[in-house]
Amino acid sequence: MSTVTVRNARTVRVSGLTVRHRRRTALDAVDLDFAPGVHGLLGPNGAGKTSLIRVLATVAAPSGGRVELLGSEVGAVTDHRSRSAVRRRLGYLPQEFGYYPGFTVREFVSYVAWLKEMPAAQVPEAVERAVARVGLADRIDAKVKTLSGGMVRRVGIAQAIVNDPDLLLLDEPTAGLDPEQRVEFRALLRELGETSTVIVSTHLVEDVAAACTEVTLVEAGRIAYRGTTAELTAIGSNGADDSLGDNSIERGYTAALRAHRTAVAGR
Amino acid sequence: MSEQMRRTMNLPDLPALYVRSRALPLTAAALTGIVLVAAWAADWLQDQPHFDHTARVPVLVLAPLLASAAIGASLHSHSDELDRTAVRPWWPRRLLHLLALTVLATGALALSVPGHPEEFGAPGMVRNVLGATGVTAASVALIGARLSWLPMTVYSGAVYLAAPRTPGGAAAVWAWPMQPGPQGAAWAVAVAAYVAGGALLVVRGARPEPV
Repeated sequence: MSTVTVRNARTVRVSGLTVRHRRRTALDAVDLDFAPGVHGLLGPNGAGKTSLIRVLATVAAPSGGRVELLGSEVGAVTDHRSRSAVRRRLGYLPQEFGYYPGFTVREFVSYVAWLKEMPAAQVPEAVERAVARVGLADRIDAKVKTLSGGMVRRVGIAQAIVNDPDLLLLDEPTAGLDPEQRVEFRALLRELGETSTVIVSTHLVEDVAAACTEVTLVEAGRIAYRGTTAELTAIGSNGADDSLGDNSIERGYTAALRAHRTAVAGR
Repeated sequence: MSEQMRRTMNLPDLPALYVRSRALPLTAAALTGIVLVAAWAADWLQDQPHFDHTARVPVLVLAPLLASAAIGASLHSHSDELDRTAVRPWWPRRLLHLLALTVLATGALALSVPGHPEEFGAPGMVRNVLGATGVTAASVALIGARLSWLPMTVYSGAVYLAAPRTPGGAAAVWAWPMQPGPQGAAWAVAVAAYVAGGALLVVRGARPEPV
């Protein structure tokens, strides 16, 4: 790929990141870094994917550790200024997001553009472009509440990319999309990943296989595996047991997860 | 004021989309309705045979309660998770939001009970709007906007039934909404509730509620 030089720059660096919800530890001293490209974040339910995405989106404060996004420290409560600067360049699709019921698609995406302090003169065009990129140009003046679940999900993707973010965080972006929409969405992801750092949390292994260049496997608050999609697929192709999954990447996923569990249990 | 000027002065902005996202036009309409009904009810009560201006007590308790409920509801955010990614801090916007609605509600409701300021007139109305809004603002921060009307409703109901007929004394503190007007203790409690509740809301924001 032509973006090799860009890829060397780490846009996300996390060290010793710990997140606790009451007594439960969601993330346990995690060290991670990401460069531009599309990264898949895989793992069982409750592994800590959403906790990680929320810290990276600056909506949740970590209990401990350092978080550096786009060259600025943002983890501490006192990092107001750097957090504001980073948020202008950040896109975030939460697992569940609300919207004012009276808003049209155009108004909702404009509202988010306003949150990100985009220059007012650029907003109308940026909104139309973002909505067109998710294939909803013909519904831009429809009320969001009248749209189907899959369409609302695409509106969510549109608001996340309205400011052409350098760091894009998507939590379960393909939930509710039909197969055709998912194929289109993966193409959009690959396009965005050419210039931005895109981190996609999902439990659909095939999304990762199709759209992501690198994979991070999270399990019980720890990193179970990191590698390229090709490497994970290779684990699944080299004589792995067929019961682990129906295709190489699924088998790779299960094999890597079990290897990690065995290693943890053996400690 | 130009956008540039506003930015350099670092004033909070409440643009049209924010105003709509918090249903502020609906809130303003609700407040207007409350004021009109309060003015009519206060006038009607005084005109009843054997009644005088002291008959305005229910208006002084109920109208501020309804106004504070409308203000509390307007503080609900439908998109809390996305709002957290805002570049600017939220507290100036919350402060402006709360102050603007408080001024509107206190001003208009004070005009709805003309005459006899010492007994259930405009000063008592202002005090009760401030106190009720303060309690409701604290409720928004602690239990969320959807049920923020509940604590003040329960409190008002209890006080309305339990307050002694004679004003002042200890009752001026715990039954501040039922005091006729100039009782200092009642003012102190109401203003303290407004300042504390408002500060809690401005600093913490509405408690997040499920989508």
